Amino acid sequence: MSAIPSGGAEVAAEVAAATPIRPPQKQRSRFTADTVTGWLFSAPAIILIACFIILPFILAFYFSFTNERLLSPPGRETQWIGFDNYARVFNNPRFWTALTNNITFSIVVVPLQTFFALFLAILVNQKLRGVVVFRTIFFIPITVVMAASAVIWVVLLNPQGLINAFFEIITFGNFSPDWLGDPAYAMAGIIMVSIWASVGFQMVILLAALQDVPESLYEAARLDGANNWQQFRNVTLPGIRNPLLFVLTITTILAFRLFDQVWIMPDRPGGPLDATRTLMVDIVDTGLNQQAVGRGSALSVIFLFIVLAVTIVQRRLVKQEGEIK
Amino acid sequence: MTHSRTSRQVALMATVALAGTAFAAAPAAAQDDANVCDGVIDGPVTLEMTMHTGSNPGAEMETVDAFNAGPGAELGVTIDVIPIGEQAYETAITSAAAAGEMPDLVDMDGPSLYPFAFNGLLSPITSCVDQEKLDYFLGSIIEQGTYNDELYSLGSFESGMGIWAHKSMLEDIGARIPTSIDDAWTGDEFEQVMRDLQAAGYGANGPLDIKWHYGAGEWRAYGFAPIIQSAGGDLIDRSTMKGSDGVLNGPEAVGALNQFQTWVDDGLIDLIAEDDNNFTVGPDGEANTGDETPLSWVGHWMHSLYSENLGDDLVLIPLPDFGNGSKGAMGSWNWAVSSGPDGVPNSGDEADLDAAWAFIDYATSPESVLRFVNGYGAVPPTADLADFPGFQEGGDRELYIDYLSNAHSDPNLEQNGSMARPATAAYLFIRDRFSEAFADIVAGADVQSTLDNIVMQIDQEIEDVGY
Amino acid sequence: MSAATKGAPAGQGATLQEANASIRRQHIRHYAVAYGVLILLALFFIFPIAFMIAGSFKADTSVIADSGSLKAFIPEPFVGLENYQQAAERGNFWTSFRNSAIISAGIVFGGLLINSLFGYALARVPFRGKGLLLLIVVALIIVPFETLAVPLLLIMAELGWTDTLHAQIIPFLAQPLYIFLFYSFFLGIPRELEEAAKIDGAGAATTFFRIAAPLAKPAYAAAGILMFLASWGQYLWPVMVTRSVDARPLPMGIAEFQGLPPRDWGDIMAYAAMMVIPLLIVFIIFQRQFVRGVATSGLKG
Repeated sequence: MSAIPSGGAEVAAEVAAATPIRPPQKQRSRFTADTVTGWLFSAPAIILIACFIILPFILAFYFSFTNERLLSPPGRETQWIGFDNYARVFNNPRFWTALTNNITFSIVVVPLQTFFALFLAILVNQKLRGVVVFRTIFFIPITVVMAASAVIWVVLLNPQGLINAFFEIITFGNFSPDWLGDPAYAMAGIIMVSIWASVGFQMVILLAALQDVPESLYEAARLDGANNWQQFRNVTLPGIRNPLLFVLTITTILAFRLFDQVWIMPDRPGGPLDATRTLMVDIVDTGLNQQAVGRGSALSVIFLFIVLAVTIVQRRLVKQEGEIK
Repeated sequence: MTHSRTSRQVALMATVALAGTAFAAAPAAAQDDANVCDGVIDGPVTLEMTMHTGSNPGAEMETVDAFNAGPGAELGVTIDVIPIGEQAYETAITSAAAAGEMPDLVDMDGPSLYPFAFNGLLSPITSCVDQEKLDYFLGSIIEQGTYNDELYSLGSFESGMGIWAHKSMLEDIGARIPTSIDDAWTGDEFEQVMRDLQAAGYGANGPLDIKWHYGAGEWRAYGFAPIIQSAGGDLIDRSTMKGSDGVLNGPEAVGALNQFQTWVDDGLIDLIAEDDNNFTVGPDGEANTGDETPLSWVGHWMHSLYSENLGDDLVLIPLPDFGNGSKGAMGSWNWAVSSGPDGVPNSGDEADLDAAWAFIDYATSPESVLRFVNGYGAVPPTADLADFPGFQEGGDRELYIDYLSNAHSDPNLEQNGSMARPATAAYLFIRDRFSEAFADIVAGADVQSTLDNIVMQIDQEIEDVGY
Repeated sequence: MSAATKGAPAGQGATLQEANASIRRQHIRHYAVAYGVLILLALFFIFPIAFMIAGSFKADTSVIADSGSLKAFIPEPFVGLENYQQAAERGNFWTSFRNSAIISAGIVFGGLLINSLFGYALARVPFRGKGLLLLIVVALIIVPFETLAVPLLLIMAELGWTDTLHAQIIPFLAQPLYIFLFYSFFLGIPRELEEAAKIDGAGAATTFFRIAAPLAKPAYAAAGILMFLASWGQYLWPVMVTRSVDARPLPMGIAEFQGLPPRDWGDIMAYAAMMVIPLLIVFIIFQRQFVRGVATSGLKG
């Protein structure tokens, strides 16, 4: 997954927080020059949103109930077929494989990458000379766009490549799998690339959050006799709670949008035995390659609901934990 | 012009003649105000043509340039090329059609033609070809370009597939070296050869290279469907063209693929190579160090690289016979005319068929064919092999001509020869599913259930779309 | 001279010198460990890039052949710029680069303007209906692009926009996420300046361009950098909507180039290098802004 939120789903979780939805109305709005200005300023955005976000959104729902194809032979009419597409999707074992893969990926990557990012942020937050150099280095993979990272890592993950060379050294030659070709290890390979390419982004956010925690709190804790671990638990974690939640949420949603690596890296999109087939691969394969726009739209709608569900569940879980503490 | 009277030549002539008769009454098939060749080109015209940029766009571009400078200039026809990557080529054309932006001319790979014709994206060129032109081609070319009794395309070259080998290594293990398609190794014999090579230490990552790094796509269907066909199975039931049950997942296909799977499990297949080095110089990148892969299952396009590296040690061996004959492959890129940017036939926006035909005629003329054969080592599309010594009797690629002159499309014929890829509009769907299934089988999936699964999908898709 | 330093072994009868020496040793150990860990991690993050650069100067056959040992990092056999030339020719690198540049410029400049205008209007201009608009914007933030991709493709097809550059720019100019970012930001700037301007007779447009926008530099920087990074790396949409070389941006360019036989890995590494290095250099020069931009978005969001 790429670290950069290119949509906005991730931020929705934070909407309920700080900023007010309704701006304080100080003036009675009436038809004034202000109204004209307001609409004028808004017009370009509104038109674009209506055409390129709202319209496809509605179409996605609409097409999901039809058997629309990208290209039809002359004489073939698109028909309304009700929930057939959805039934087909849920009956297709490949869909469940894709969903499972996304879930597996998330369960591993979200905690792993987030806490790796936190670990890096803490390391880089130390008062060491030249630590900025390291911060830069850790962020560099973000500037290597995911597609390029994927191509480079194809060679690195080759059974005779560097990654295996490393593993062979530390396991005395016992462990050097065919990362991208072996269904058992394909997901691990993808996870490796994803973390390498994305963790810098989360690190930077958490670093800023760490720097916002007042030093005085740490001093107070030390005076109370707290050791490093206790300081971390009682000062750091609570202090960066909101940004940390934000990072967890983004990472989760991005995990479901996993596409670039799994499309480019395995020798066929979706990987060996569909071991790395994700929902996005399914959507693109169905809508584009198989030209089944109707079924592809059904998948897109289902995807939306899954993302919503995951976000809500995660917020609940985290809120509970916060309350228990 | 020498006319060798071997039975092979006669067979070639026969297939050509048979094909030619299919269009004796061509004009009768055309509709009223259909886009037809009337022998007149209306004014100077520029035609857009999409072209796949594969391994080597050289010969195609040269042909276009030569046309634009030569016959095109005389007739007032200019071809403007739009290059498109080979990987997503068909999807590109499809999207263009959906967007109302079909180019005037397209080149496409063999059976991709059928879905496009089915969707009305192409204009027939039946009215443009005369008997003399038809006679020039092998029957396989004509057959490849025909859909629903109309001729839609012509190819400038044919294709061929076999097993390239290091002769010295085979001799070292004492293997019999087949000399024609009629004494091909059986599946079991082939397995034994590979095991012997492996035991002798040849091929660090497996004695058989199958160009696995070509990835998903046409290669896995083109290259490996012959295995199931050679066993008696097929990609689709050609008697009904409505499904694949029983042929793609029948005992013949399953048996052959199960055998192939054991070869993978026993390390006989090189799945690791990321480029062509394994056969030519070996994984260490250095020639003649003895770690070259002995066998390479691939098509004609590797000939020039391989012969450059192996010289006299290169030998071409027919594909193994799994019970129903040694089946080769056939068909390749061919030129077709679209039904206009809107992709709707006879809607009035089609390009002048005569102008388009002028190009296709030139691109499939002996002069152009020479360019393709010499440039790619492609297989000549014609029975007239005077200019192509490599393919004549005794030439190093005689095998391909053998296959083509015995081309057939009835899978039940226990015969050695090329099998045409099925002329169904569902071809792209079938080949994508087969390609995936083959990859899954190589990765260790259960053969029967994998094939059952794709048969179900194929049958359903055919029903859905109404192919 | 403060004897009560933290690590001092208290009350064990050590002499002051021994205590100081021990502290120094501990510090050195601490530094050694800290730097050691940092360096190891740095190696982890850098090695693929070093590999890419070295590979781009190697003969094609050696890239894979050497890929399992330290030789992978040594550009031997050295082929000069041959791989780069091939990548540029066979891979049509510069066309794709031009495409990416146009697309990113379009999205960043167009997007910054359009999204900030709307965000400002929602935050500061009292006009009828803005409450509803704001609600819609916020609701749309959650919709992932992927849900819209397939129908959007169909819309592109209907408009005849497939395989074009504008198909990769126009649908992405207005983004609820950034609108909201600007909205939040503009809400936070002090009203006094604007009121002053209004008293001076400035219209809304002047107020925006002369007063509000300059104050929002951090938001512009953050949004601009994120938009740039996202658009530069866009892969999914180009896969769906572009085919020909003329419209294809870099991420798709390298994916296609990598899939094209014959795969000359030296050329592919060169392509990757040409893709990566310019951005890398820009990043290293402007890293503070980059990092601040990313952090701002995270904290604000």
